[in-house]
Amino acid sequence: MTKVIENAGITIVQMANLLPVAKTVGVNRLVPTISIPYPLGDPATPPDVQFNLRHHRVGVALDALTTDIDEPKVFKVSI
Amino acid sequence: MKAIHYINQFFGQIGGEEAAGHEPEIREGQVGAAMALQAALGSGVDVTHTIICGDNFMGSNTEEAIRRILSFLEGKEFDIFFAGPAFRAGRYGVACGHICDAVQKKFGVPVLTSMNEENPGVEMYRSKMVIFRGGASAAAMKKDVAAMTGYGLRLIKGEKLLPAAREGYFGRGVRDQVWLDPPVNATDRVIDMLFKKLRGEPFQTELPIPKTDRVPIAPAIPPEELAKMNVALLTSGGIVPFGNPDRIQSASATRWGKYDITGIDDLKKGEYMTTHAGYDPAAANNDPDVVLPLDALRAYEKEGKIGGIHQYFYATVGTGTTQAEAARMAGEIVEELKSAGVRAAILTST
Amino acid sequence: MKLTLANFHVKDIIFGDKTQLKDGVLTVNEKEALAVVLEDSHITQAELHVVRPGDEVRMVPVKEAIEPRYRAGGGPVFPGVTGEMLQAGNGVTHALKDMSVLVVGKHAGGFQDGLIDMSGEGAKYTYYSQLKHLVLVADTDEDFERREQQKKNRALRWAGMRLAEYLGSCTKDLTPDDTDVYQLDPITKRSAAVNGLPSVVLVLQPQSQMEELGYNDLNYGWDTNRMLPTLMHPNEVLDGAMISGSFMPCSSKWSTYDFQNFPMIRRLYAEHGKTLNFLGVIMSNLNVALEQKERAALFVAQIAKTLGADSAIVAEEGYGNPDADFTACLVALEDAGVKTVGLTNECTGRDGASQPLVSMNEKSDAIVSTGNVSTLIELPPMKTVLGELASLGRDGLSGGWEGDEKLGPSVRPDGSIIMENNAMFCGDQVVGWSTKTMVEF
Repeated sequence: MTKVIENAGITIVQMANLLPVAKTVGVNRLVPTISIPYPLGDPATPPDVQFNLRHHRVGVALDALTTDIDEPKVFKVSI
Repeated sequence: MKAIHYINQFFGQIGGEEAAGHEPEIREGQVGAAMALQAALGSGVDVTHTIICGDNFMGSNTEEAIRRILSFLEGKEFDIFFAGPAFRAGRYGVACGHICDAVQKKFGVPVLTSMNEENPGVEMYRSKMVIFRGGASAAAMKKDVAAMTGYGLRLIKGEKLLPAAREGYFGRGVRDQVWLDPPVNATDRVIDMLFKKLRGEPFQTELPIPKTDRVPIAPAIPPEELAKMNVALLTSGGIVPFGNPDRIQSASATRWGKYDITGIDDLKKGEYMTTHAGYDPAAANNDPDVVLPLDALRAYEKEGKIGGIHQYFYATVGTGTTQAEAARMAGEIVEELKSAGVRAAILTST
Repeated sequence: MKLTLANFHVKDIIFGDKTQLKDGVLTVNEKEALAVVLEDSHITQAELHVVRPGDEVRMVPVKEAIEPRYRAGGGPVFPGVTGEMLQAGNGVTHALKDMSVLVVGKHAGGFQDGLIDMSGEGAKYTYYSQLKHLVLVADTDEDFERREQQKKNRALRWAGMRLAEYLGSCTKDLTPDDTDVYQLDPITKRSAAVNGLPSVVLVLQPQSQMEELGYNDLNYGWDTNRMLPTLMHPNEVLDGAMISGSFMPCSSKWSTYDFQNFPMIRRLYAEHGKTLNFLGVIMSNLNVALEQKERAALFVAQIAKTLGADSAIVAEEGYGNPDADFTACLVALEDAGVKTVGLTNECTGRDGASQPLVSMNEKSDAIVSTGNVSTLIELPPMKTVLGELASLGRDGLSGGWEGDEKLGPSVRPDGSIIMENNAMFCGDQVVGWSTKTMVEF
């Protein structure tokens, strides 16, 4: 899906947990998420902790859209 | 049963390179190479017509050539369509691919052709049709025609067809399960492969790893532009309004949904849910933002990091969905995004 | 460890006054057997049927298959699950061969449940069409999951295990028809001849996807989601240490019967001491998060390396995101210098044109493949249905659907069906029975 959208010239970032899967299908801009069932917020943590994590990683994804890359890249997250 | 055969100017006995501009024509019965095809098919299948077209005419007026040939075929009864063999002749091979593709799309009949592995038509069309592995030159005519017709006869009679490698055509990238005959248990196959690998002998994996197909990297968006533009949110994690109004399947999806999020800052429990069956849905149902981070993206909208959020989010389910379906759905979503002028997107997957 | 499986071949199953095995005929006292099932008050309805290969019977939703057994000297067949904790894989265990206890939902099915046809075209899709079965068809009051696609099926699965133990116990004082002995000397105490052979470990990746307890395969009763890869004796697997879970799309699933009979383990035993030195089983899992997958692969490679394994076989119970564990494990082992062969099924889609595994790496150059989960299968109506045919379309079985624009509903008014291989009960037989492979067309 990401590839088709990118091929149309739309700059796209994929947020995914299974980086090997995303790499296998040829995604170029990747931001890791924490798991498959809850990519952006661990239900075992308080809502504000979940939001902070989500806010941080979505921010990394937005920065990824503004970053020039020469080859597929996984953008680093800090929380 | 009836067949129609496509050949070029040379094998249609019009002429060589000087006749390569020959306009498409249809003749009743068999001309040139079509006689060899008829001989190989035998009495059960009649080659009722031969279509002849110059390679250069097809090459430089492709759409027109296809349009005319399809109009020749309109109203004719035929059970199978053959083109070539094209051997190593590049323009002829590509022409066979073009016309076979068009004929199978329009008439839904099986199409068969044959080319040498170095023919550029092979890479262009192998995923779309059965192309037999042919010889380098017309010296292989009899053999190549026999390969196509032997398979074609069994195909139209509904008889058992073997895998590409056994039949002798270029694999179409379509993998399916078959029962080994005689049966060999997976355990025996594992042990056999293991011994070969341990001894450094050649072995044949049953799952060859394909090369990753990459697309050109889309350009970065300057931050000041991002601050003015709408970013679209998409997910393959199956987030939909509660009750799943578009009945997006929980696996092997063929449907996608678009949902208006105007004025919505947060995806709430009981208003949105996941329909994805490939993972534990509890967390996503409790707070859909953990899959589709609308609340966080709204925060960036308020901060001014992005201009806004595209009016709709788009959702489907990734599990078990064929690449062909995923590509079709993505293509439809792309049309939506482009017509709305969207240039930036975030896709979340589960 | 030395395990003797004492085999009692069952030629037929009938109902009668006394539960007993005589001349290969298993007689079942229906009332007594049902009382064992109904020991759990959550079971609200239960009936028993006998089904034989060739019968015109379709069963759906099938939840579990178990080989009836009796542990000589007493003790649970499934330690930590149906009774106290004890060492599995050592001693004598009786097994009623050529049959299973099948557990079928009376009404409610789910994602993980499957279908078995005992005759006709559909019979070739599952190993279980070749066995005789005592079939428990039952319903429960587990209303919390009645409408859930994912079901723990706890009451039904445990009822099946109790029934299997009940049947197995009738062999208590009997002499078996034959025996299979499974014995491996401790790894450091093997003869020079055995140590001179290429060594091999079998890496198993049972399903452990669900974070919530109750759905995953259990190892001595312990949820496999909560374990790290560990070295096990193959006899433990053959002797009830592992039980099947209730999550994976059915054709990819390993039933408890599959674990009890694991063909790949038996095949390695057949080579042990002759051509290979079978070191043991590394029991891994298939957790969901990438970090867990990476950690498991690291543990597996480390254990194999510490054992000095020359080679490894890796088998996964599932597809989709578990493919990431499978590939990661193959790559980690190859990187550790262990020559590795993979054993898996594929998901190439209904059209066969999709990527076979969701995660792939060119280092995994030796894979045996046992089927495509999404192949479409169309089958005519069957005379008798045990369970509820409608569940195939209605209850979210992984290979069924209510309606499809092109294909229509999975279950048609005349009783014929169209489904994906996904819902064939343990159909891809990754444990080793499969004579299917995948080829390019």
